[in-house]
Amino acid sequence: MPRSVRVRLFATARLAVGRAVLPWPVPEHGLRARELVAALEQAYPRLAPTLRGSRFLRNDRYLRDLDETLRPGDEFAVHPPYGGG
Amino acid sequence: MAVRLTRRPLTLAEAERRLRARPGGAVVVFAGRVRRDRRRGSSVVALEYEVDRVPALARLRALERAARRRFGASELVLWHRLGRVRVGEVAVVVGATCPHRVEAFDAARYLIDELKTTVPIWKEERGRPVRRPPRRRARPGVRSAGSGRAP
Repeated sequence: MPRSVRVRLFATARLAVGRAVLPWPVPEHGLRARELVAALEQAYPRLAPTLRGSRFLRNDRYLRDLDETLRPGDEFAVHPPYGGG
Repeated sequence: MAVRLTRRPLTLAEAERRLRARPGGAVVVFAGRVRRDRRRGSSVVALEYEVDRVPALARLRALERAARRRFGASELVLWHRLGRVRVGEVAVVVGATCPHRVEAFDAARYLIDELKTTVPIWKEERGRPVRRPPRRRARPGVRSAGSGRAP
């Protein structure tokens, strides 16, 4: 089992980072979604404005709040505002 | 299928066939096409659509169930193109077969509004730069026509 989460980035989030997928290391005690978002902001300052307006999913389910703990092997998706149609 | 995410062209005729095959006095179909937009100094020739497929399909199916319940629809379509869609092509089709026109219009409106704001689909413009004629330099002391503000 990898000791990382798979961060999936879409649309403006992908453009800000330059990649669609990022592996992100998870410490022994787990990683709260809030901590991951803060770490992403720090690592990719251009991503910060997009993160503030985004929704987040863990394993294809919308997070109710950012206190959920992510485990190794989880997928964490960043959804900027939608624009279909 | 009532719900579809596809790289293939969408046609109104196919949507209409599906909607007319079910009972109901009113059929409403809406198609959204890619339009040319010359803002921001570029000419859009296509839109590139991106999706997070699993949650998008889950949300489209939830919209289908909600529309059947709320508007008494006997059939629905919620179709969206993915990948590159050129100007003039249909990017999205929604439609409803309902007992009466009010419900059918309301259902189609509900589906397109919800689809645009709650389904994880994004678009990015693909264009080419607009060629503008070179600016003529104004000669010193001569005001060029049309410069300045209107009185």
